[in-house]
Amino acid sequence: MDSRPGDETLLLAVAERDMGAFRTLYERHAGWLAIRLARRCNDRDLVADAIQDTFVAVWQKPQGFRGDGDIAAWLWGIAIRRLVSRMRTRGSVVAVFGDAGAAPAAEDQVLLSVEYGDIGQALARLSPEMRAVIQAVVLDGLSAKEAAQLLHVPVSSVKTRLYRAKAHLRAALAEGSS
Amino acid sequence: MATASISLRDVGRTFGATRALAGVDLDLKPGVTGLLGPNGAGKTTLLRLLATALPPTQGQVRVLGRDPQVSAQRTDIRRQLGYQPQEIGFPRGFTAFAFVDYIALLKEWTEPAARHAEVRRVLDLVGLSDLSSKRIRAMSGGQRRRVALAQALLGSPAVLILDEPTTGVDPEQRVVLRTVLAEIARMSVVVLSTHQTEDVAALCERVIVLDRGRVRYDGPVTELTGQAAGRVWLADEPDPAASVSWRTGTGRYRNVGGRVRDGAEHVEPSLEDAYLLLRGGSPEPETAGEVAS
Amino acid sequence: MTGWHLDDDALRRYVERTDSLAEGTSAEQHLLSCEPCRARVNTAASVIELSVIDIATVWDRTRDAIEVPRPSVFERLLRGAGLPAQEARLVAVASAFRGVWLTGVAAVLAFAALAAAVGHARGMWLFLAVAPVVPCLVVASSYDPWMDPALEPELVTPYPMLRLVLLRTVAVLALALPAVLLSGLLIPTEVPFAWLLPAVGFVAVVLAASTWFSPLRSAIAVSSVWLGVIWLLALRSGAPEAVLQARAQAAFLALAAASFSIFLVRRRRLHQLRPWR
Repeated sequence: MDSRPGDETLLLAVAERDMGAFRTLYERHAGWLAIRLARRCNDRDLVADAIQDTFVAVWQKPQGFRGDGDIAAWLWGIAIRRLVSRMRTRGSVVAVFGDAGAAPAAEDQVLLSVEYGDIGQALARLSPEMRAVIQAVVLDGLSAKEAAQLLHVPVSSVKTRLYRAKAHLRAALAEGSS
Repeated sequence: MATASISLRDVGRTFGATRALAGVDLDLKPGVTGLLGPNGAGKTTLLRLLATALPPTQGQVRVLGRDPQVSAQRTDIRRQLGYQPQEIGFPRGFTAFAFVDYIALLKEWTEPAARHAEVRRVLDLVGLSDLSSKRIRAMSGGQRRRVALAQALLGSPAVLILDEPTTGVDPEQRVVLRTVLAEIARMSVVVLSTHQTEDVAALCERVIVLDRGRVRYDGPVTELTGQAAGRVWLADEPDPAASVSWRTGTGRYRNVGGRVRDGAEHVEPSLEDAYLLLRGGSPEPETAGEVAS
Repeated sequence: MTGWHLDDDALRRYVERTDSLAEGTSAEQHLLSCEPCRARVNTAASVIELSVIDIATVWDRTRDAIEVPRPSVFERLLRGAGLPAQEARLVAVASAFRGVWLTGVAAVLAFAALAAAVGHARGMWLFLAVAPVVPCLVVASSYDPWMDPALEPELVTPYPMLRLVLLRTVAVLALALPAVLLSGLLIPTEVPFAWLLPAVGFVAVVLAASTWFSPLRSAIAVSSVWLGVIWLLALRSGAPEAVLQARAQAAFLALAAASFSIFLVRRRRLHQLRPWR
């Protein structure tokens, strides 16, 4: 494991135009990035295009990674934004995250309360649309505009849903603590 | 299918008042032939002639049975020719891939997918796959020479002319070069020039020694080396009559040619020794006891 | 790095998208900082039928996007004009189309603006001194080894050098037309159009001369001679419109025709290297 170059070393090599290092970086990250993107968009061609765009962007500007945090997080940031870019022009269906409408299974409830405590349970009780917005804005770090493009809804809807989701969560937490 | 061949008959080339080549007679068949000689011997001129880049001012050249002076035949030759010049001033902004792709276009690889595959193949042969998208101007000298070699290898040509392919190339790369050339030389005529005898010894079966525009030797490498048999010897002092002599690491002197003493310690000759002897122009070996008259 | 990793079930549910928001979020957060688990996700993703993308195909496309040179503006223009894709590439790759031409056009326009600003006679002389030589300088730079090194390997390819030189020349001249039109807007007389025929004449002279000397040297020589001529004319008469006269224009046409004929007669020289230094 130690003899393998780390991602940062690979990035430095990419800055020197090393195609071999670039390929290694691709092979390490394209798989999981595609899986994660597919959980936001069920159009495989779009996901493939987004992955291609992501790595081309990495090649063109490897110094965009400032050394803060994980390279994986940086790559994800590029990937999700590339997906949003591609989705701007395509009217494809977005996979709404999680089991739409179904009640969380018993194990999940335990997991939720262990991992996230009350918030986890409150999250699970949100409608799918609100969950999607929370995921896009809070978890993936997209702006309201980008989230709107990803989910194919107007920006106003995103803001409304976010507002409502936060209200729900606050209410649920207040309820839970009392 | 005829075997690849090149033949020269009484070929000469002058530039104004300078005579770069004279009276060159050669017959080349598939295999690797080394062109050895000092600077100014006419190696580059000869290679340019073989590569159809220059016409001779006298004599006849036939490459693959065709005459380069006839336009249509020259195009035919060039379809099966690869040439690595001594220097390429690569244009600015070209990556290795872009440059080789450009030459591939000129070599009539019109279909993009096939052309790109061929470009990648030759870049891989010279070990530059990883640097395909690096700007040539940002590369080291050895890497640039490899780009120059790659474009010459496009299409696995029947005639491969290489002008100083080993300059600036490190030992590992030289091994790669040897493998690549050996493979191509099974069916193609490969001619390379160098002024280092080790390259000829490592890469070539046949050697042509050129000096001041004339061929001084043309034949197998082993035969040339054999010419120095019995004439390379060790002594405690340098021999003033030797073609060359120098102090080895052990403190003794290695003499090439000159007056070989009785009971002298003979050494296995190398190609370099034979080459130096040839250039030194030393006539018969003299043994101690004979009086030079 | 902690010892906690995704268990196989959780991983499978994650990849198959049968988990919940909470589980998925937890998995994703973990994956961002755990390389071994990412590798397991990669493996799982390639094995199951639910593999989202064909990793190898997307790699090929990505590599092509990076390695394969993109067509330049000029290349696309030439393709649009009817040239086959690969010839458009060959022609457009010359340094003349990588900025030298733009510099030339900029120079012509700058002198046109200067002419318009400086005032009639002197401005016209300035313009006439510069504009006709720009095309021949650009053409020369499109195949002179100094500007476009790599001559030797180009030379010994089967592609006819004559065709390459002519195509590049025609492309440069065609691109000179917009410069003419634009400078015509700046200078209200017919002078801008008067420079086109001398320009063609000089290009032909350079082509012919390049069968003896290097293209760039020939172009510089022609430019210097022209500058000298203009200077002399400017000193003697006062009217730049002399160049416009039918006799002068006819002379340029004759020069163009004669030079081009010489060029064609000696075109064999293009196929072989000569000691241009």
